[in-house]
Amino acid sequence: MSIKVLNPNAEVVNKSQALHMNITAAKGLHDVLKTNLGPRGTIKMLVGGAGDIKLTKDGNTLLKEMQIQSPTAIMIARTAVAQDDTSGDGTTSTVIFIGELMKQSERYIDEGQPTFLRRSTLLKYYDAPSLYVMVMLLKIHVKRINVILFIAYDVQKNTTKSAGAKHIGFLIKVLHLVGMHPRVLVDGFEIAKRATLQFLEKFKTPVVMGNEPDTEILKMVARTTLRTKLYEALADQLTEIVVNSVLCIRKPEEPIDLFMVEIMHMRHKFDVDTRLVEGLVLDHGSRHPDMKRRAENCHILTCNVSLEYEKSEINAGFFYSSAEQREAMVAAERRSVDERVQKIIDLKNKVCAGNDDNFVVINQKGIDPPSLDLLARAGIVALRRAKRRNMERLVLACGGEAVNSVDDLTPACLGWAGLVYEHVLGEEKYTFVENVKHPHSCTILIKGPNDHTIAQIKDAIRDGLRAVKNTIEDEAVVLGAGAFELAARQYLVNEVKKTVKGRAQLGVEAFANALLVIPKTLAENSGLDTQDVIIELTGEHDKGNLVGLNIHTGEPIDPQMEGIFDNYSVKRQIINSGPVITSQLLLVDEVIRAGRNMRKPN
Amino acid sequence: MKEIVTIQVGSYANFVGSHFWNFQDELLGLADSPESDQTFKSHNLNMDILYRTGETQQGIVTYTPRLVSVDIQGSLGSVSSRGTLYNDVPDTSVGALTWTGHVTTQTSQPLKKNLFLQSLYVEENKNEGTLRGGNSGTSDRQSEVQDKDIVESLENEVQYWTDYSKVHYHPQSLYELSGLWTDIRDFNNYGIGREAFLGVQHAEEINEKLRFFVEECDRPQGIQFIIDDSGGFSGVGGEFLEKIADEYTNIPVLLYSVRSPVSCLESQSLKMRISRKLHDAVSFSKLSAFCKLIVPVGLPSLSTSRTSKYLRVEDQKPYHTSAVYASAIHSISLPFRMEPLGPSAQLSYTCGAMDVNELVRMLAVQARQNMVTILDVAMPAPALTGFQGQQSLLENLQPLTPETAEDVEDLHALESMTVHGVFGSGDNDVALLILGTSFQQDICSKRASVSEIKDAVEAACAKAVERPRFSHLSIAQCPLPIPLPFPSIFNNLVGQNGQLLDTPISNCASKGSLDVHSVPMAARLRSTNAILPFLENRLGNLRKFGIARGALGTDLLGNWGFTKDEIEEMGEMLSSMVNTLNPVSHESSDSD
Ligand SMILES: Nc1ncnc2c1ncn2[C@@H]1O[C@H](COP(=O)(O)OP(=O)(O)OP(=O)(O)O)[C@@H](O)[C@H]1O
Ligand SMILES: [Mg+2]
Repeated sequence: MSIKVLNPNAEVVNKSQALHMNITAAKGLHDVLKTNLGPRGTIKMLVGGAGDIKLTKDGNTLLKEMQIQSPTAIMIARTAVAQDDTSGDGTTSTVIFIGELMKQSERYIDEGQPTFLRRSTLLKYYDAPSLYVMVMLLKIHVKRINVILFIAYDVQKNTTKSAGAKHIGFLIKVLHLVGMHPRVLVDGFEIAKRATLQFLEKFKTPVVMGNEPDTEILKMVARTTLRTKLYEALADQLTEIVVNSVLCIRKPEEPIDLFMVEIMHMRHKFDVDTRLVEGLVLDHGSRHPDMKRRAENCHILTCNVSLEYEKSEINAGFFYSSAEQREAMVAAERRSVDERVQKIIDLKNKVCAGNDDNFVVINQKGIDPPSLDLLARAGIVALRRAKRRNMERLVLACGGEAVNSVDDLTPACLGWAGLVYEHVLGEEKYTFVENVKHPHSCTILIKGPNDHTIAQIKDAIRDGLRAVKNTIEDEAVVLGAGAFELAARQYLVNEVKKTVKGRAQLGVEAFANALLVIPKTLAENSGLDTQDVIIELTGEHDKGNLVGLNIHTGEPIDPQMEGIFDNYSVKRQIINSGPVITSQLLLVDEVIRAGRNMRKPN
Repeated sequence: MKEIVTIQVGSYANFVGSHFWNFQDELLGLADSPESDQTFKSHNLNMDILYRTGETQQGIVTYTPRLVSVDIQGSLGSVSSRGTLYNDVPDTSVGALTWTGHVTTQTSQPLKKNLFLQSLYVEENKNEGTLRGGNSGTSDRQSEVQDKDIVESLENEVQYWTDYSKVHYHPQSLYELSGLWTDIRDFNNYGIGREAFLGVQHAEEINEKLRFFVEECDRPQGIQFIIDDSGGFSGVGGEFLEKIADEYTNIPVLLYSVRSPVSCLESQSLKMRISRKLHDAVSFSKLSAFCKLIVPVGLPSLSTSRTSKYLRVEDQKPYHTSAVYASAIHSISLPFRMEPLGPSAQLSYTCGAMDVNELVRMLAVQARQNMVTILDVAMPAPALTGFQGQQSLLENLQPLTPETAEDVEDLHALESMTVHGVFGSGDNDVALLILGTSFQQDICSKRASVSEIKDAVEAACAKAVERPRFSHLSIAQCPLPIPLPFPSIFNNLVGQNGQLLDTPISNCASKGSLDVHSVPMAARLRSTNAILPFLENRLGNLRKFGIARGALGTDLLGNWGFTKDEIEEMGEMLSSMVNTLNPVSHESSDSD
């Protein structure tokens, strides 16, 4: 599948070209991803050259499907994907924020022309005395002037200060005309970034987690995320599932390991059948015709023990001195496998004596047909080649422990499940291990009619799980629907900008305006007039109302009331990484080097 | 049953694999076809070793390779990674079920199916229901014309390995690496590949695919792993292999590292040359660390090598060169699926069955701990007529492994040879096998019986000047079938059934599947010190560019994510490989 963003551009000839290229690349990615943003964004169906389909509304997934070749775009994409890896969300926001920062910067930077002007050029517009004053004023007002004004100072001495002062308004224009070194902007970004992060600390809504997490807030966060990926009814159904599954695997005082939520899928029926299984669903079944397809009251043995004939490394070999010797060797090998199987059978007989209980073996290693036979004859259900991760999950779901040897088997090794049954779909088999007692692992079972639908739901569920986990670990959330960005912008413009000296102010301003890209894009994707919306929303913020955008009407709403919350850590990372990468892209020299290092050896 | 799971990683590996599976598919088709030759009907090869039987949700039975193939996104050309067998609901009829908002569709330019793929499609729709593939090789006159066009179009147009594949793959088989964001030309070293594999969820997804196939196996005998080790894919494969070694401790991996002559072209810049040399060293030592037997395959110039005595391959066409390597790998794989002879062995069509583990043990474990072997092939293998024929069989066996020494003496050499489908002298032929009726009959084209071949080869070996310490021989009567999409790479000394002609019969320059229908083959794996140059080059380069003080490539190796210790460890590993084969002359520095 290919959406070409930019054609590859190997070597960069000069700085200003490179800068231009970076800006274009950033804008290009921005344009591709911006329609994704928010609950009214556009889902993308990508049809490959061979006709296969990918469906996605996720920035992360979309980026991976793209064949990006411009080094700049790759840098941005990597930043965005890293965003997803660490916090699980906010890829689209990252890309459009970077794009917007670049766009804003472009307004201040003169890209193609040399960064100095000749006096002769300026003399076309101004007389010499005025010029002299302007240059002086420039020097006074702007301390960190990076441009070289190539102006000779052979001007008349008798120019008055007031004569020059008339032109003060024009000074700014000259500045723009002359061009501004990106360094100045970058300094401003850095200041703005720090200020915004501080602001976020004040702005965030703390959530007390303790022993009994506030499920309501968890649901709101999960729902906010899910509704940006799935239609409402489906999102709401999954909200419960996602929150419950995280609560299921959560252990007090321990980091949440989302791998303990298995996500399994079946190509079957329609998507609303997706459900939470408290227990585990395995994507394989037993391999013996006589084993039960359904068993109640099951003891579960989770193990990683080879139950197949092994060709032991040292003894056996190709050159047996005689056929008898070979036979003997094989028999000995077989016997040791059978002994291991027998130990399992012994344990079964012990725990199932005098009751109707069943016994299920779930093994990470192989089980060969003779072993399966023995187990089947003993009434045991056995599964082989279980996923490595399921060893851990099974124990968390059913109890007991995962054993690596059958030498010291005791009933304490065993877990328990009220019901184990097999479900067959064509050649695919699923084993459900359900009705467990105190599950700390569970399975979200997705059903969908085709692969791309399943994949899309899976992506959404991953986002939802991460959102819930983040909330629990952050112990905070942030008002969504653009409210945070609007508030942060206002803070920067009203409070921060004035404390900054010189032209770095422009960087702060650019940063503040770039934040607006989030509410703007949300509005744009909802078919609203962005300008009107922004005027109205900033107006509310000026009045001190922390509003966000109602994506249906364009009016201000209170995200708190509506339960629209984003993750604190996601926001934090967007604010952090956006300016970092933009700065690198603006200070071109460094960019090219960094870009090259990543791609090929120097 | 002792199953084999095949893994193909990287583009050239998939080119080789595509031919390999075409041979298998052809064998299946020929066995089913009423018109085909007796040798193909009772080849006594158990195809279930390589194939799995499955069932779609509609209950339709399928028969597909036990295969995991990994390649870069977009490498499947006009073929979908899901294949066509399991597509119950046509994908396109379903829109976005999960979203009620806007949908935009980005459609890539649909890739046009070439003439060959089109004809497959037509044929399939004609006899629906027969999912077991196989083009029987016979065709009526009307389609003859078309076949000519197909062959020609393949010669000129093959771009992807799927372009000439006639096999149905299971939806779990084909995996495309997405999100690499590099031009394939920049995906050229171990480090970048390793990063790609570890980065996103690729590793997990690929492992799951493999697990799908292994779980079904009752007694997996081994993994046949083909890897394109010329670039980033060796990093992908290396990491994958490590996972396999960890997870499936008892399943031996037989690894073919293959590369196309194109990838061997010398680079202009010094930096690139150093990078290439280090890559080769690192890649080889990493790959060999996690398999049981490694077979480096891929000559810098196949067309001018002695292997090509009867071939006309074009080095710049992966479609061509990969066909030769695939043929050799096919031959080597035959013993793994020969049915061991039962007590009531009737007429035997094969002999010398062994499983992957036995091969590994024989070549790499039992006698000398050398796991790097040379692959030789004779394509086509000459007829075993008299002493002369026997001699030429051994002479024609030429290496496909690069950087090997010639005429070395090695008293400890071990080898395993497979000879199949060769012609005999014609007089004492018990099982006189007439070739397909549609073929032109040829007096000399009588396949030798298994015992005849055995006697002849053993006689030849006995008379040979250099004799290995141990040699294993496997024989099958069934030659290599040449499927329609096989490239035109035979020269005009090769006859219709692969027999070698004294005088060219036609004046056409190269012959393909329309002129040559099957080929007798001999292939051999050799564990010998002739591999020393290959090992020493890698060791030398690693020391010179990676380990020595102030070496030019230290930063590079750092960029690839290797620590100094790891590099030294690789150096030690390589030098111990060298020492195994050459204990005396090597005054290496690794005494601790
Ligand atoms: N109901 C809503 N009304 C308005 N804005 C919303 C609503 N729900 C979510 N949002 C906003 O949508 C944005 C998130 O959109 P989305 O999830 O599509 O993008 P992302 O998180 O940046 O990237 P991705 O999820 O693709 O990695 C946030 O700014 C969030 O506040
Ligand atoms: Mg999101």
